[in-house]
Amino acid sequence: MTDAPQKIAIIDDNTDYLFIMKTFFSRNGYKTVTAPDGKQGMDLIRAEKPDLIILDIMMETTFSGFEVCRQIRSDAALKKIPIIGVSGMADEIGVKFNKTDDAEYFSPDVFFDKPVDKDALLLTIGNLLS
Amino acid sequence: MNLSSDNHLNDLTFKSVIDALPCYLMVQDPEYRILFANQIFERDFGRNVAGDHCYKILKNADSICTTCPVRDTFKDKKPHVSEETVHLADGTIVEMIAYSAPLFDVMGNVMACIKLLANVEKVKRIHRELVTLGQSIALLSHDIKNVLEGLQGGVYVVEEGLKDKDAALSDQGWDIVKRNITEITRITQNVLYSAKERKPQLKKTSPVDIARQTGQLFEAKALSTGVQLLLQLNPDVPLLNLDDAAMSRMLSNLIWNAIQACQDDGGKSKHIVSVRVDYYDPNHVMFEVEDNAVGMDKEARENLFKEFFSSKGDSGTGLGLMVVEKIVKNHMGKIEVLTKPGQGSLFRIIFKTETHLNEEKLIHGGKHDRCTPENRHY
Repeated sequence: MTDAPQKIAIIDDNTDYLFIMKTFFSRNGYKTVTAPDGKQGMDLIRAEKPDLIILDIMMETTFSGFEVCRQIRSDAALKKIPIIGVSGMADEIGVKFNKTDDAEYFSPDVFFDKPVDKDALLLTIGNLLS
Repeated sequence: MNLSSDNHLNDLTFKSVIDALPCYLMVQDPEYRILFANQIFERDFGRNVAGDHCYKILKNADSICTTCPVRDTFKDKKPHVSEETVHLADGTIVEMIAYSAPLFDVMGNVMACIKLLANVEKVKRIHRELVTLGQSIALLSHDIKNVLEGLQGGVYVVEEGLKDKDAALSDQGWDIVKRNITEITRITQNVLYSAKERKPQLKKTSPVDIARQTGQLFEAKALSTGVQLLLQLNPDVPLLNLDDAAMSRMLSNLIWNAIQACQDDGGKSKHIVSVRVDYYDPNHVMFEVEDNAVGMDKEARENLFKEFFSSKGDSGTGLGLMVVEKIVKNHMGKIEVLTKPGQGSLFRIIFKTETHLNEEKLIHGGKHDRCTPENRHY
């Protein structure tokens, strides 16, 4: 009997990006669930209890990735789920996420800038889920 | 000619040099009263300023300014420099760099201060333009990066579909590629439009045809985003002297923004974007683009037409509306914006039906009023 595929939740307001990542993960042995905004994302996470979450920070709909992250971390049932934060703005605004300094208001396990290096992402996911 | 040997000539030269200085110069006493001002100063700040307080003349204030280089110079006997915003006699507000330097008596006490003001308005404007340029490059590169990522991702999905002989998957990937090609085209056209002055190519054009053709370009985008796109076009609207390509760009930007705003609004079950062409009154025709998305708050409304201001966070350079404003201005039209947070926005572009447009006027300072009238729709 083989293990059930691990489940990744992707929350991003770019529906093309959701579809691309869903295709990518399904072809690499993961099951994916997706949500196009923070509010639906929280409902999805509570319902699906994914093994890992990929979270866009700069969503413009309902609440942002920061708020999703805060809610996950303050929920006893969810707070241990690894979160990978992604953003496309870090280069432009010149603000880089610092895991130590920024943990108080944003605490993903790993942070990636868009465009995400997919090989590095797979490796990171493998490490976080092992 | 030896100037120093001729006191009379020397005095004349000193006064003419002071008056000819391409900057404002005055001498102040310890009470900040003007003892002397050069000719350029009196020309721009008013004659007979001697005896008046500096702060009264420069800023129409009743007390000394918070930052004052002259006060500092009286205090420590050293030159100082500061930036000041001053009011010229004609009401123009100008940014200046102010320098102060002490004038000593025989005992070494500061008996008066020289204050020199240099107009740095041009430098400031260039500075602002450079900052805007920097921001624009950052935002544009971000937008282009997003498109490239969409293209790469779309190509990846197409290839995966081909690999698995899954035509449906390839089709979905190809749709992503096409959407991103449309997006990079839109960005490029807006950059080109904003980068240089363009003479409108005016010809008798049907506003209804322009709106219909432009609206049709967005049918697929509206469909894919679940937005209902309604075209409400009055066929009786007459032909106008318009640049059809510019009109199409203007409407494209407004419709794109409206659909994007609907996409970003998670709070409603149904979103509608309406594109209308109708009479505004017997002498004017209007284009309207209305959405029922989130509307705008005060800050977004006030910054609406500023270059590279975007309320769309991760997806938008803010160029679109700036281009809209430029096109409307070039056609001597008028923009009205009606918006209410939570309920939606309406952009109304109004043109005269009888336009006797002078091309020179069009390019260089056609009168353009932008206003927010009484909210008629909300």
